[in-house]
Amino acid sequence: MTRATANRAGALARRVAGHVARGLVMIWLVATISFVIIREIPGDPVLAMYESMLQKGMSPDQAERATAVLYGFLPKGSLWEQYTGYMGSLLHFDLGRSLSTPGVEVTSLIGSAASWTVLPVLAGTLLSFLLGVTMGVYAAVRRSGRLGDLLALSGSLLHGVPVYVIGLLLTAIFATLWPILPSGGPVDVEFTPGLNAGYLGSLVRHAVLPVVTYTLASYGGWILAMKSNVVTVLGDDFILAAELRGLRRGIVFRYLARNAILPLFTILALSIGMLFGGSIFIEEIFNYPGLGLLLVNSISSRDYALMGGTFLVITIGIVVANIVADLLYSVIDPRVRSGGTA
Amino acid sequence: MTVTALPGAAGRSRRATLRRNFWRGVWRVLRRKPSRMAGVAICALFAVMGVAGPLLYPAHLPRDDDALYAPPSLSHPFGTDFEGTDVLALVVTGSRYVLLTGLATAVITVALGTAVGLFAGFRRGWQDTLLMRLTDLNLAIPGLPLLLVLSTVWKFESPLEMGLVLGLLGWGGIARAVRSQTLSLRERGFIEAARGLGLPTTHIIGRELLPSMAPYIAMNMLIAVTGAVYAQVGLFFLGVLPFEANNWGVMLNLAVFSGGALTTPAALPYLLAPLLAILLLTLGIVLVVDAMDEIFNPRLREE
Repeated sequence: MTRATANRAGALARRVAGHVARGLVMIWLVATISFVIIREIPGDPVLAMYESMLQKGMSPDQAERATAVLYGFLPKGSLWEQYTGYMGSLLHFDLGRSLSTPGVEVTSLIGSAASWTVLPVLAGTLLSFLLGVTMGVYAAVRRSGRLGDLLALSGSLLHGVPVYVIGLLLTAIFATLWPILPSGGPVDVEFTPGLNAGYLGSLVRHAVLPVVTYTLASYGGWILAMKSNVVTVLGDDFILAAELRGLRRGIVFRYLARNAILPLFTILALSIGMLFGGSIFIEEIFNYPGLGLLLVNSISSRDYALMGGTFLVITIGIVVANIVADLLYSVIDPRVRSGGTA
Repeated sequence: MTVTALPGAAGRSRRATLRRNFWRGVWRVLRRKPSRMAGVAICALFAVMGVAGPLLYPAHLPRDDDALYAPPSLSHPFGTDFEGTDVLALVVTGSRYVLLTGLATAVITVALGTAVGLFAGFRRGWQDTLLMRLTDLNLAIPGLPLLLVLSTVWKFESPLEMGLVLGLLGWGGIARAVRSQTLSLRERGFIEAARGLGLPTTHIIGRELLPSMAPYIAMNMLIAVTGAVYAQVGLFFLGVLPFEANNWGVMLNLAVFSGGALTTPAALPYLLAPLLAILLLTLGIVLVVDAMDEIFNPRLREE
């Protein structure tokens, strides 16, 4: 008994270790990509910054250090020296300083943007999961009826339509043609931030359209996956046996849902990753101050330290979501937990 | 060679009958649900638009300098844009760039994904492990943020360049699916028989494995087209790429960020026209994929 538990814990630890290792490789790869890109940008912004500082009357030494503070690596020196310098400052969680908001550290900009992305993404994921799973069961049970057909088609369509189309259509309908919701921004400016009703109400009103967009964007995937899972499970012998034993519909339904829902947790990570990517469009459309908007703005204002940092943090978010989803899956499904072969 | 030469005339006529039966089956599947006919019609419409669209307006686009942001009317079914150009004409001429990118991406995605998946599934062993690690990485990498960051150093000037980048970023899903199909197919009787007959590996892969996966790959290719269309329209919409040709994404960008389509209804038709085009294209492809699914997967047919 104890040995079995220890084995199980060992298998789980190995799984997590594997995920963490793969995640680290990914983060390293993305950091390298952003380093190469910052260096290869036409006009070499790092060197240009160094030279403009020289012209302002700084000594070469001072200018070199000031540039290194901005970008995380020295403007001169071999590629390898610059690369190790960049990686070294990343290890100290130093992503450099922003140019467009002068003097502010990239990490603090990202920190204040992160919650505007993470919370709506999580809310949208939860809502679409609940909605998609319920509708998926219905669509599977009634799959030869008209309504079931319609539900499945709505799933395919929403799954296929890009997020920005959903977002733009929702804004066009609910903010322009029939203006009941604000078209953009995180909150109305007239309220003082804090725990007062006006501020919170405005916060919620502004969050409705982005969250609904996130929800609709991933709803299609859930309903399609759930429908096909339920159809598979419906053909299984134990369901037939349960029906023949004359069990109540509610209990048969419980057998069905439990078995059909399990494989969905593998899609969870993909779905969250997709929404993180989609946040770029959603935040641009609704002018919502999250990570996606930060990335787009940093590119259009040529703030490359901020760009590299945001890209890295978005990647880290996706890696973490992957690990959490996998852990959740192995906690829920005993087959994954015990066997290392599956 | 001997295999194809053997059956002779009788075989040829048998094959012709098979083909006729296949097309009859296709027709039956299409006819049962009129929506599928509509899907095929929509896809054909877009294909014609991409090929012949720019030829419809050889000299210049219809333009009405007095009617900026004109509401929809008979002469301008979707109104006009900020300089009075007919929006419908913009959508029609913009379709070529969009569809060409989609096609290029789909070809690259499918070729790369199928090659990797087949090789990994057929060889197994360390090559399989290595390729699947690469596939995992490809699947996990945040594609859109990477595209945005890449756009600072590379402007993707032609549709083919854009297709190349999108294809290189998107082959992971197909590779994994093809690998798992290969793994299950290679244990089947007909592959074992082919191997027992001593047929060369290229024959087994090209003549036995690929045909059984072809419908699946074709469906994935259609889906890849839509993915590519979204990605590149989205990039132009965000405005990180230079505006060159008229393009659906550029239209969206101008409508939202310069036309103020989200705050005033005047520019709304200009915004809705490319959106409708994207929706229609998606609808067409979804319906065709649905029909293909039933044609090639007889278990789904509810007779």
